[in-house]
Amino acid sequence: MSTNGIDPALEREVTALINREAMLLDRRRWEEWLDLYAEDAVYWVPAWATEEETTTDPETQLNLIYLKNRGRLEDRVFRIESRQSWASLPLDRTVHVIGNVLVESAEGDAVEATANCIVHVYGKKGAATRGSRYDFAFRRIDGALRIARKKVIFIDDRLEGPVDIYHL
Amino acid sequence: MNGGTNRSRFSDLVDDRVDEGVFRVDRAIYTDKAVFEAEIERIFEGGWVFLCHESQVAKPGDYWATEIGRQPVFVMRQTDGSLGCFINACSHRGAVVTPLKQGNANVITCRFHGWVYDRGGRCVSIKNEEAGYAATERSGGRFDLRRIGALDSYKGFVFGSLSSDVPALRDHLAAAARWIDLLADQAQNGLEVVPGCSTYVVHGNWKLQAENSVDGYHVTTLHSVFAATTAQREARDATAGMGRTESGRIKGKVPSGTYDLGNGHMGLWAQHITPHVRPIYEARAWLEEKLKPAEVEWILNRGRNLYLFPNAMLMDNPSTQIRLVKPVSAALTEVTVYCIAPKGESKTARAARLRKFEDFYLTAGMATSDDAAALEAVQDGSLGPPSQWNDMTRGLSDLVAGPDRDARDLGFEPASSCPDWDHEGMFHGFYRAWLERLEKGSGVA
Ligand code: FES
Ligand SMILES: [Fe+2]
Repeated sequence: MSTNGIDPALEREVTALINREAMLLDRRRWEEWLDLYAEDAVYWVPAWATEEETTTDPETQLNLIYLKNRGRLEDRVFRIESRQSWASLPLDRTVHVIGNVLVESAEGDAVEATANCIVHVYGKKGAATRGSRYDFAFRRIDGALRIARKKVIFIDDRLEGPVDIYHL
Repeated sequence: MNGGTNRSRFSDLVDDRVDEGVFRVDRAIYTDKAVFEAEIERIFEGGWVFLCHESQVAKPGDYWATEIGRQPVFVMRQTDGSLGCFINACSHRGAVVTPLKQGNANVITCRFHGWVYDRGGRCVSIKNEEAGYAATERSGGRFDLRRIGALDSYKGFVFGSLSSDVPALRDHLAAAARWIDLLADQAQNGLEVVPGCSTYVVHGNWKLQAENSVDGYHVTTLHSVFAATTAQREARDATAGMGRTESGRIKGKVPSGTYDLGNGHMGLWAQHITPHVRPIYEARAWLEEKLKPAEVEWILNRGRNLYLFPNAMLMDNPSTQIRLVKPVSAALTEVTVYCIAPKGESKTARAARLRKFEDFYLTAGMATSDDAAALEAVQDGSLGPPSQWNDMTRGLSDLVAGPDRDARDLGFEPASSCPDWDHEGMFHGFYRAWLERLEKGSGVA
């Protein structure tokens, strides 16, 4: 057991999963990326409500992205792959760097973790660096840890260029 | 346009010979620095601009900080319930006085040297005043915050002008007022701005945002991937009711039209083939009881985009949006979007309205991001001198001076009407108003 009572093997497993997601997004291995998600996964990026707080209720307040099953992530991939989306052709290049992974809780098949991510983006209008804070919920399905919820606090609030699943 | 910003040079940029079948604008209007500076001074700082919605300053002491052109200002709800709008620069040495974009305050204390202003902008306290100023100096009002030149609201939408030399707001809004009615009057308990907003930067001139807001012609090409994506999603998820996406306007031919609403304002509409998926549809019985049949038709069955010269768009199509443009430079525009909705609508309707907003209207969404990319491509394509003219003559033979039958039914007087949203006649009104303002010069007091 580690100092916070979390099994170090679980911590390694969670860290590897978050790193793997980043790698798959950067390399555009969309099908494998989708496989990391549970079928009923929620993908939530709140908007900023004020300079100090994001929105807190995704149903009745505005979000940047709020998708309530894995199919909706498939839709994003479909649009990217269609080569019909002007914002996605050419697709921005990205490098995700994950840090500060912390498993917050583990109960049965449910695990929660936080992490930070810096994404270096290179696109039509040059390079940018964007920062995100992740709140993950995972569920063990058939022995493998899957993403049940990904909440992204996207700290940038004056967005240059598109913001899509591969930027987050 | 190197150097000269005189009258003839501006008029050279709009080749307005509709009688000869010509209407085109020089692409330098998107790229030229001298044009941009004249626009800021004469259009944005010289006349009415949209500031905020009254729900954003609902209670006494609520303030909302924004800009008119380059000038920071703030709107403050007064203790008596009226609105005030002040130059957001301390009378002492010029610091912006509001600590946040929005907040509530009895008094505003400048955080630099501690001067204090009440809600009415009066300077009520100066730190160590006796040691530095004669006893009477503050009482004359010379240390009060300056009010802007004109402030008024129409059906909850607040407008201001640095210059006091402007027509009455109602006259400025011209035929666009009737289109604001369509948004305001559909809400039995009034409208509110929903929490959350998004600001994005587009590497393109602000006028491209204006054009895009009422350009129906691009929809079936640029947004066909949006239609394909949502259609696939809704088949897979067996989506029902308000969760569905209105796709008539994207897929093909539906009745539609555009209007030159006067003073540079423009309107576009398209018939919805599935009006029951609109969140407002739940209010149908109330609308039919309270409003005239033409109003109900326009509210329930017609998606509408309204462009309010120079800096605001009100969209009711497919969600409801306030979109504000802030020109930063000739090639850079900051856009902020808000969802506006009827207070007290059902939770289902509110959720559907927001999901439609998120689907389409954000740079994190699946359509506006493509619009932004397209506008940036126009900006890039306009850079070289050999690329000179943007043609805006599509549908010239269909263009009708004054109102068409739809406009007469609803009761508004457009300068011209066009029975197809693919057509470009409304841009003529926009660019004529633009040119007139540039040629008239600045009215800043
Ligand atoms: S600038 Fe505000 S008190 Fe000095
Ligand atoms: Fe568009």
